[in-house]
Amino acid sequence: MEAGTLSILLFLTLLGLLASGIWVAPALLAVGFIGIDFFTDAPVGSLLASTVWDASWNWALTALPLFVWMGEILFRTRLSSDMFNGLAPWLVRLPGGLLHVNIIGCGVMAAVAGSSAVTCATVGRMSIPELRKRGYDEMLSIGTLAGSGTLGLLIPPSIMLIVYGVLAQQSISRLFIAGVFPGILIIGIFMSYVAIRALLDPKLAPVEESSSNFLEKLKASRHLIPVVGLIFSVIGSIYGGYATPTEAATVGVIGALILAWLSKSLSWKSFLESLMGGVKTSCMITFILVGAAFLSTAMGFTGAPKILAGYVDELNLTPSMLIVILTILYIFLGCFLDGVSMMVLTAAVVLPMVENAGINLLWFGVFTVIVVEMAQITPPVGFNLFVLQSMTGRDIMSVTRASMPFFFLMLLGILIITLVPEIVLWPVEIMINRN
Amino acid sequence: MRRCLDHLYQISGYIAAFFMVMIGLTIVGQICGRFVGIAIDSTETAGFSMAAMTFFGLAYTFRQGEHIRVTLFLRFASGRIKKLLDLFAVGFCVIIISYLTYWAFDFVYFSYKFDEISQGLLAIPFWIPRLAMALGSLIFLIALSDEFFSVLKGGIPSYEENASPVYGEIEEPKDIRGR
Repeated sequence: MEAGTLSILLFLTLLGLLASGIWVAPALLAVGFIGIDFFTDAPVGSLLASTVWDASWNWALTALPLFVWMGEILFRTRLSSDMFNGLAPWLVRLPGGLLHVNIIGCGVMAAVAGSSAVTCATVGRMSIPELRKRGYDEMLSIGTLAGSGTLGLLIPPSIMLIVYGVLAQQSISRLFIAGVFPGILIIGIFMSYVAIRALLDPKLAPVEESSSNFLEKLKASRHLIPVVGLIFSVIGSIYGGYATPTEAATVGVIGALILAWLSKSLSWKSFLESLMGGVKTSCMITFILVGAAFLSTAMGFTGAPKILAGYVDELNLTPSMLIVILTILYIFLGCFLDGVSMMVLTAAVVLPMVENAGINLLWFGVFTVIVVEMAQITPPVGFNLFVLQSMTGRDIMSVTRASMPFFFLMLLGILIITLVPEIVLWPVEIMINRN
Repeated sequence: MRRCLDHLYQISGYIAAFFMVMIGLTIVGQICGRFVGIAIDSTETAGFSMAAMTFFGLAYTFRQGEHIRVTLFLRFASGRIKKLLDLFAVGFCVIIISYLTYWAFDFVYFSYKFDEISQGLLAIPFWIPRLAMALGSLIFLIALSDEFFSVLKGGIPSYEENASPVYGEIEEPKDIRGR
C-alpha cells in the first residue's frame, strides 16, 4: 500500500480508538500492531515484547519519576499556603499590583508541580478570594491564572521536556537549559501585559500601599526562599555539568524531603501519599511512551515517516512556513488531546520532517511545549479552563474569554523565539562550551 | 475474592513505589561511589527499577483512574450506552494486554533459555528484570478482566469511582480555613 494512504489509515484508526474512550497507551499498542501485522512480514509478537522492554528501561527516563516525586513532596509542604503572602509584599508596588502574584506564583509553583492544572488550582485557591476582596478585575485575575498556570510545562525541571527528550533522543540537560529563558520571556510578556492594562485602565487594579521594609518582606517569604533555592540548585547543577538530570533529580528529592521535614509537614502519611502520587503520574507517562515507542517502530517498518517527510520536502516549505503549519496542527489537536498524548502521537511523523527542514530539535522541543501550553487553555478540552470554572463559579465562556489574551501572548512568545532563536539556543551553547 | 484482588492491586502499587525509591537509592550509591572513587554504574539498576516501577504500577494506576483517555465524547453518553462504551474500552484493553502479557512471558522464557546477560558491570541475567514486565502486565490484565466483569454486572468502574478531580487533590491548608 502507498505510504501516504497507509499513514492516513493508521492515523484515522488511532483517532477512532481514542475517541471511543480507549486508554491512550493500549490504543497506541493496537495501532502499532495493525501497522506491523497487516502491512509487513515482521514477527509482531516478539517485536512488541522487545520494543516495549527496551523503551521501558531507558536511562534518560529515570529522571522523570524522581522529578515527579520531588514535586509531590514539595507540594505537600507549606509552600502552597505561603505562596500568596510570601510573594505579595515584593510585587505589590508594580502597576497591576497583586495580579503579578498570580504570574510569579504560578511560575514558582510550576517549577515544583509540573502539572498545569494543579499549578493553576493551587495558586488560584489562595489568590482568587484575596484579589476579589481587594477589588481587582476578576477577568484579568482568571486570565493570569489560566495563562501562567501552563508555565509548569516549560519551566525546568519540566516533565514535558523529559518526554520530548526521550521521544526526539535529545539531551535532557540541554533541553532544560533551553527552556529557562523562553520561560522567563513568557513570564515577562504576561507581566508587561498586566502592567500596561493596569496603567491604561486604573479601574482594573487598585493602587496598593506597601508598608513593609526589606526585612519584613524576607520574613513573609521565609518558607518560599528555600524551595526556590532548591530549584535553582537543581537547575544549576545540571547547567554547570556537575550532575546528570537523574542525579540532580535525586538530590532534589532528598532536598525536598529535608525541607518538608524542617517545615514539620513530613509525616509517614504525607510521605506515602507523595510516593504513590509519584508512581501514578510516572507510570501513566511511561506507559504512553512505551506505547509510542512501539507505534514508532511500526511506522519505521512501514517506511511511512520517511516518505511523508519526503513529500514535505517536495513542497519546498520554508522552515517558518512549516512552523506556522505545525502551530495550527498542534492547536487543533490540543482541542481534543492532552499534552503528552499530543506530543507522542505526532512525534513519529513530525520529528523526521522537522529535522529534514533543518530545524534545530532543541528549539523545536521548546516550541512544542509552548504550543502544548496554549492547548491547555483552548476549549473544549482545556484543563486549566475546567479548573478555573469550578473555582470561580463563572461559566466556561467567560473563563475562555478571560484566557484568550494570554493565548495570543503565548503566540507572541512563539513569534519571538522563531525570530530570535538565540533565546533558546544561546544558553545551551554556553553550557556546551563551558563543560 | 474481592478483597483478595484489591490487595493484589494495592501490593502491586507498593512494589512499584519500592522500585521508584530504588531508582533514587542506586543514584545515591553512584554519587557516593564517585566521591570515594569506586565506579558504581547505576545505568542498569536504575533502568531496571524504572521498568519494574512502570509495569507493577499499571494495575494500581488504572484502578486510580490516572491512565489518560479522551473523555470528550464519553461525557455525552449515559445509562446503557455509557455502559456499552465502558465495556468496549475495557474489553479492547483486555485483548491488547493479554497479547502483550503472552509475548512478555515468551520473551522472559527465551532470555532464560538462551542465558542472555546484561552488558553492564553487574551482568544480571536479563530474564530477572524482564520478569517484572511479564508479571506487571499479568496483574494489569487481571485488573482489566476484573473491571470488565464488574462493569458488566452494573458496577461503577473503579477508574471513575477512585479518580480524584484535579483540584480535589489539594487539601485546604488549615491556617487559612477560618478566613
